[in-house]
Amino acid sequence: MGKLERLAINDEGFIFDPETGNSYTVNKTGLFIIKFLKEGKSEEEIVKALSEKFDVSEEDARRDLVDFMEQLRLYGLLEGENV
Amino acid sequence: MYRVAVSGINAVDNPGPGVGIAKGLKGGSLEVSIYGLAYDAMEPGIYMKWLFEKSFIMPYPSAGEEPFIERLLYIKSNYGLDAVIPALDAELPLFIKSSSLLESYGVKTFLPTEEQFKLRGKDHLPEIAERIEVKVPETRIVTSYEELSKAVEELGFPVMIKGIFYKAYKAFNISQATSYFNSIVAEWGYPIIVQQVVTGEEMNVVGVGDGEGGHFGLVGIKKLWITSLGKIWTGVTVRNEELLSATERFVSEFKWRGAFEFECIVSNRDIYLIEVNPRFPAWVYFATGVGVNLPDRLLKAALGLEPERDWDYPAGKLYVRFTDDFVTDMSEFQRVVTRGEN
Repeated sequence: MGKLERLAINDEGFIFDPETGNSYTVNKTGLFIIKFLKEGKSEEEIVKALSEKFDVSEEDARRDLVDFMEQLRLYGLLEGENV
Repeated sequence: MYRVAVSGINAVDNPGPGVGIAKGLKGGSLEVSIYGLAYDAMEPGIYMKWLFEKSFIMPYPSAGEEPFIERLLYIKSNYGLDAVIPALDAELPLFIKSSSLLESYGVKTFLPTEEQFKLRGKDHLPEIAERIEVKVPETRIVTSYEELSKAVEELGFPVMIKGIFYKAYKAFNISQATSYFNSIVAEWGYPIIVQQVVTGEEMNVVGVGDGEGGHFGLVGIKKLWITSLGKIWTGVTVRNEELLSATERFVSEFKWRGAFEFECIVSNRDIYLIEVNPRFPAWVYFATGVGVNLPDRLLKAALGLEPERDWDYPAGKLYVRFTDDFVTDMSEFQRVVTRGEN
């Protein structure tokens, strides 16, 4: 089971890692992305979904997604190349 | 009704485990009457009558075995005593040495062996780590300034400067390292441990080994908030499989008997062993609170009853310690001072 699958995430964007005891908060966009990542969606699928949901260009959505995923990796919440 | 004595009832800024143990015993499945063993009339547990029915001032273990055992036998003959759960490092050697004698008088304990107790010295950590296949921060044992400067040169700053049993400081340069070295030597003597700083999550496991390689439950936690003395005030349960299986390997490899606290730093998949304590930690009530009543199980093991072994606790339970106060009569204090018991 991957790291993301183990995270306990509530609808308000509170994330608890049961392995390390660390907790995080994410905004609506972050929560949206994490839910897609947990479902194993590809980067392209998430970019499309973000662009539709938040009415931004795919280019902007991709930049934000890459940035956010880099942060997740930094915190050890995303292992390797998830998508 | 079982009569059990518990020590470490100093619920102060550096809290002992006694109050947490007593709370566990009260909430357990056995009917108990708990006695507090104290070393000072000011230990708050003495006045917590809702936990400790009676309390007794004990002679210091350093005064020798005889007065200590005599005091326990006085309690036994006057008030009845079925078991003792000692909770302080300084008492343990005496209790371990006298456990058969106490047993012959009908006072039960469930303690580590002398060899197991010795493992608490940080100079034994590399040996434990090797046998249970975990890592240990790179370590040098030093007894002089010369060795100290050689060690820090090899390890590079920052380093941890530690006593064998107590105190740990992080030093960022040679003058800090030397000053911590001096302060630990002045208080606790030689040798001094110089250790590489490992970054990761500090996690602890509390458990009770059955003495045959199994255990009566483990609970893993992470300290979220500690005081300036390093004492946990807020924590959360974690389920880290690497950590829990390393702890199980420790219990089975050393056939650990009795309570213990296993302190580690977890860095990704690596477990670094930091310390093993041969007794309950002060936060032991956390285990009771998540359904693994270790003090109750340890008492059962001491009494020769079969303790539960389930330990499927949930991750994400929060531990909150707080300070509290109450008012009692001066006469309570007077009795402790004049009679040595109350």
